[in-house]
This record gives sequence, structure tokens and C-alpha cells, in this order.
Amino acid sequence: MMTEKQKAMDKIRRCAFAVDEARLFLDTHPMNKEAMEFYQKHLELYNKAVADFENRFAPVSASGAVRNGKWAWATTAWPWERSEN
Amino acid sequence: MWSYQKRLQYPVNIKKPNPTAAKIIISQLGGPDGEIAASLRYLNQRYSAPCKEVQGILNDIGTEELAHMEMVSAILYQLTRNLSEKEIKQSGFDTYFVDHTTGVYPIAASGVPFTASYFQSSGDAIADLVEDLAADATITKEQPTFQKARKPLISLTFRHFEGFRKNGIPAII
Repeated sequence: MMTEKQKAMDKIRRCAFAVDEARLFLDTHPMNKEAMEFYQKHLELYNKAVADFENRFAPVSASGAVRNGKWAWATTAWPWERSEN
Repeated sequence: MWSYQKRLQYPVNIKKPNPTAAKIIISQLGGPDGEIAASLRYLNQRYSAPCKEVQGILNDIGTEELAHMEMVSAILYQLTRNLSEKEIKQSGFDTYFVDHTTGVYPIAASGVPFTASYFQSSGDAIADLVEDLAADATITKEQPTFQKARKPLISLTFRHFEGFRKNGIPAII
């Protein structure tokens, strides 16, 4: 049973996986329009998933470093802790 | 240049510390076919790569291997929490502990620290790519729990270069 935070992070991971794999495919198939659209679509989903997580929980990227007027980048737990997974 | 996302590429949540396992898994971090070797190999080879497609692949996979390095390190970190003196001695982890305690240090299970000697960046594209084949295909020896049968060198590497990389993580602890 995943917590809300785990679910939101899981969404980021799924979107990121799609984007990363599409990027690798496009590295060797730069003319493939379908792959490019797939990439754009999933990049948007990824950005939304990151924004949602950062809104509700903690920073993932530079955009999420300031939370409620406080510096949250290094003051929240780091990814190698069990609590963050 | 690189930016950092504050997340692991895939979650690591180990319930029970196990220094005996850590002793072996550390090769996936600092060993000859580990993640540091992989990332440095690809990232160094990309400069002299002969075309944009290969530069793209070496850049992007090299970057991803850094994320794998982080996951293996997280595994090692979680495997070595709250150890008693007895556990440290009896597990054989003591030979690492004496020099690094429960810090994460890039070394092979044999005790050889990570070295750039584990990879080559020759400036010759074929030599570099063949070295990449040799290094990446050795996941078959390191992860028998995933690979039921040995796969041909070429198809494994082809899969890698086409982006199939579920193989970076050791089996469930």
C-alpha cells in the first residue's frame, strides 16, 4: 500500500522513465516524428508530476527549492534515506 | 553540464540491514563493471565519438549510470545501518569497516579501490564501443537472479543502447 507521497513520486518515476527512454530512442532515430511527439507529451506529464509532488511534499528540482518562503533544498531528507522511498 | 533531481531513479527501501550482502554488492559501485566505471567510461568516450547519434547515446546513458551509482550507494547505505560489533565481525564486513566504517566508498568486493584503469577511452570509436560491449554484457555474470539464460553479447548491448536498462539494480535484498 503506497502512501500519497509514494504514489506521487511513483508518478514522477513513470513519466521520467518514458521521457528518458524516448530520449535514448531519439538519439539514434532523430527523424522519427512519432517518437518526438511521444517525448513532448510525456515531458509535459513529467513536468506536471514534478510540480504536483513539489507542491504537496518536497523539492525534486531547483524549481521546488523554496517552499512557503523557506529554503527546502537541503533541509528536507535526501533520497538515500528509506523514508524517501 | 549536469543538474540534479532530488530522487532516486527507482526506490530503495531495505528493511533489514545485511553487511554480508553489502560486502559483495559494493562491486556494483566501485568494481570494474560497476556503475562508476560505466558512467565514466561513457562520459569520457563521448568527446571523440564519430557522430552525433553515438555522442547522444554515450552522453545520456553515461548520465543515467550516475543515477544508478546513486541507487547502489543507497542500497549500501541502507544495508549497513545500525550494525553491532558482532555483526560487523561475523559478516566479514570488518575488513571494509576498519578503513571506512559505514561510509560509502567506491571499492570492489576484492578490496581494490575504484580506478580509471577499469576503463579505456581510446579515441578509436570501434575500440571504445567494443569495450562498452564487454563491460555492459558482464551484467549476466553479476545478476544471475535476473538472467535465466546467457544472452548473446550483441543483443544485450543492442538492448542497452536502445534504452532497455532494468538491469542496473541487484536482486531484492
